[in-house]
Amino acid sequence: MIESDGAASLGEARIEAAYGSGDGDDDSSATVARPMQGKIFEQIYRPWNGPLGPRWVRNYAIYRHHVYGIVSGSGHRRYHPFVRLLLLVVILGSMTPILMLLLSTMVSDDATGFLNRMWGVNRYNLWGNVLGYFPRNLCMWPLLTALVVGGLISDDRRNGTSAIYFSRPVSRLDYAAMKWLSAASVLAIVILLTYMMYYSAAVVFKGEGWSFIADTIPIFIGGLFAGIFLVFTYTSIGIALSSISTSRFTASISFLGYILGSKLIAWLIEIQFNTTYVYMVSPYDCLAHVGQWLVGLPSNYDHPLALSVISLVAMNAASLAIFASRVASLEVTRE
Amino acid sequence: MTNPPAVTLDHVSKWYGQVIGINDVSIAIDGGVTGILGMNGAGKSTLFKLLMGRIRPSKGSVRLFGTNPWDSTAPYRRIGYVSESERMYDWMTSIDFVSTLARLHGMTRSEAEFRAEQALSFVDLGDVLNKEIGKYSKGMRQRVKIAAALVHDPDLLILDEPLHGCDPLARTSIMNVIREMGSRGKTVLLSSHILEEIERITEQIVILHAGRLVALGNLHAIRAMLDKHPHRILIHCEDARALASSFIDKQPVYGVRFLDNERLEIMTKDLSEAHSILPALILESGVPIHSIENPDDNLESLLGYLVGDSR
Repeated sequence: MIESDGAASLGEARIEAAYGSGDGDDDSSATVARPMQGKIFEQIYRPWNGPLGPRWVRNYAIYRHHVYGIVSGSGHRRYHPFVRLLLLVVILGSMTPILMLLLSTMVSDDATGFLNRMWGVNRYNLWGNVLGYFPRNLCMWPLLTALVVGGLISDDRRNGTSAIYFSRPVSRLDYAAMKWLSAASVLAIVILLTYMMYYSAAVVFKGEGWSFIADTIPIFIGGLFAGIFLVFTYTSIGIALSSISTSRFTASISFLGYILGSKLIAWLIEIQFNTTYVYMVSPYDCLAHVGQWLVGLPSNYDHPLALSVISLVAMNAASLAIFASRVASLEVTRE
Repeated sequence: MTNPPAVTLDHVSKWYGQVIGINDVSIAIDGGVTGILGMNGAGKSTLFKLLMGRIRPSKGSVRLFGTNPWDSTAPYRRIGYVSESERMYDWMTSIDFVSTLARLHGMTRSEAEFRAEQALSFVDLGDVLNKEIGKYSKGMRQRVKIAAALVHDPDLLILDEPLHGCDPLARTSIMNVIREMGSRGKTVLLSSHILEEIERITEQIVILHAGRLVALGNLHAIRAMLDKHPHRILIHCEDARALASSFIDKQPVYGVRFLDNERLEIMTKDLSEAHSILPALILESGVPIHSIENPDDNLESLLGYLVGDSR
C-alpha cells in the first residue's frame, strides 16, 4: 500500500526506523512525499555592449575591494568585530592629543603650562605624534599594521583567491601595487591624517597666526616625512611577511615580533655594552633616528645617521624584493 | 585583415622535469563549443594553465586572440574562466562577488551591479543573489563562478570541469548556459573526462591522451573513422536467441554473442547503419526489448580504439 499523504504513518515509520521497535513485516506500508510543483525558468542571455574601463579603473577596483573590507562585509576579508573594535581604539587613541589640545585651550593653559607642554605643537610633540614609542610604536602602529597587513597576501595564498585576479586583465604588478597601496592608505589615514588633524587643531584651537605657521610648518613637514617613511617601511615589512605565509596570524605575529623584538634586543645590548649600533636592525629605531634628524631634535643614537638611512633602504628593498618574488610565483605552477 | 582565432596552439609542448604535460599539440579553435576530453593526467589542466598564462610552454607558442597570454593580460578582457579549484570569497553575497569581479574588468559600480544581476539571473540564481556564497550548494557555487565568468560578456569562455560535483538540476542549467553561449557564436572550451557529459553539449571534441592530441573534430566523424574496430550494441530482451536470428544475416552486423538467455551483444563496423536498421528488425521479430546500450560509447573505449595498446 502506498500512502501519498499520511502524517501519522510517517511519524510511526520514523520511530520504527529510529528504534527498530518493529520487524517491518507487520504492515507493508510506505509513505512518499508529494512531488513539488516545478517552476519554469526562462534562461535569457543578455549581451553586454558597454565599454570596459582602462587600467586605472580596474586598479581602483582592487584597491577599493581591499580597503572596503574594513567597514563592510564585502571586501577582501571579513574583519572580526573585535579586530574592527581594536582598529577603532587605535584611531581614537591617535586622536587623543586633539582632545587634550582642546582641553588646554578651554582651561586657558598658557604657553608654558603643563597641558601645553605635553600636547602643544613643538618639535618633541610633533615627532612623538608619529614616532613616540609609548604608546604609538609600542602598542598602536605595529598592532594596526599587523591587523591590516597580516592577511593581505597570506589569505590569498591559503584560499587560492589570488587566481580570481590573475584570470582577469590584472597584471601581477597591478595586483601587488594595489595590495601595498591599500594597506599603506589605511596606515596613512590613521597615522598621517591624525597627525595633520593634530597640527591643524593646534592652529585653530589656539587661534595661531601666520607667524606661528611659518615657524612650525618646516617641523610639521619633517614629521610628516618621518610618518611617510614609517608607513612605507611598516607596510613593506608587513606585506613581505604576509606574502611568505599562508596564515594571517603567523604573518601578524612575525611582524610584531620583528618590530618589538629587534627593539628589545638592541636596547638590551645597549644597556649591557653601551653601544647603539645594534639599533640598525630595528626598523623603529632607524625611523626614529631619521625622524629626529627631520624635525631637528638631538639624536638619541651614537651611530651615524647614514647607517640608519642605509639600514632603512635595505629593509625596504629586501621586503619589496621578497614581496615581488612571492607574488610572481602565486598560482604559477613550478617548473 | 582577418581576426586571429580565439585559441591557437602551435606545436606546444610542456615538460615538468622528466614528466610530459603536453606533447607537440597544435590546434586552432574559434567559435562554438569544443569539449576537451581526456582521462586524468591526459594534459587537460596543463592545456588550460597554458591558456591562462599560469605556465609557459617549453616549446611552441600559445596565442589567445593573437596575443601570448604569458606576456600580456590583454586577452583576459575577452575571456571568462571557470576553474575547477578556484575558491571564492564565501562571506560575500553572490551579487557583491560577481559585481566586484565585473569591476576588475573595468566596469563602473552601477554597470557592475546591473550586469552582475543579469549574469546571476541567467544562471538561475536571480532569487538568491543576496545570500552569502558560503551558504550555497556546490552546484550553486559553480553557477556563481559561471556568472562571474560571463559578467563582462566574454568572447571566449574556458570552463575546467564545470559539471564536476553538480546535482542534475545544476548540470542541466550549466549545460543550457554553455549551449546558449555556443549558439551565440562565442568560443567555449570545456574539459571533462566523461564523454557522455560532453556529448550532451557538443559534438566538437578534442581528445588528449598522455599529453598528446589523439583526435580532433566531430565526435561522430571520429567514431566513424574507427571502422576497423568493432562496435558493440548490447540488447537486453526476453528471448536473445530469437532476436539474434533476425540480425545475423544482415549487413552491417558481422557477429553476435550471447551473454545469457536475455542479453545479446551485436558486433558491427558501422554503428549508425546498425542503429538505423535495428528498430525495424526488432519490430519484425516481435521480441520484447528492455534496453539497448552502446557499451563502447564512453571515453575509455574511444581512447582504446584511438591509441590501442599504447595506453
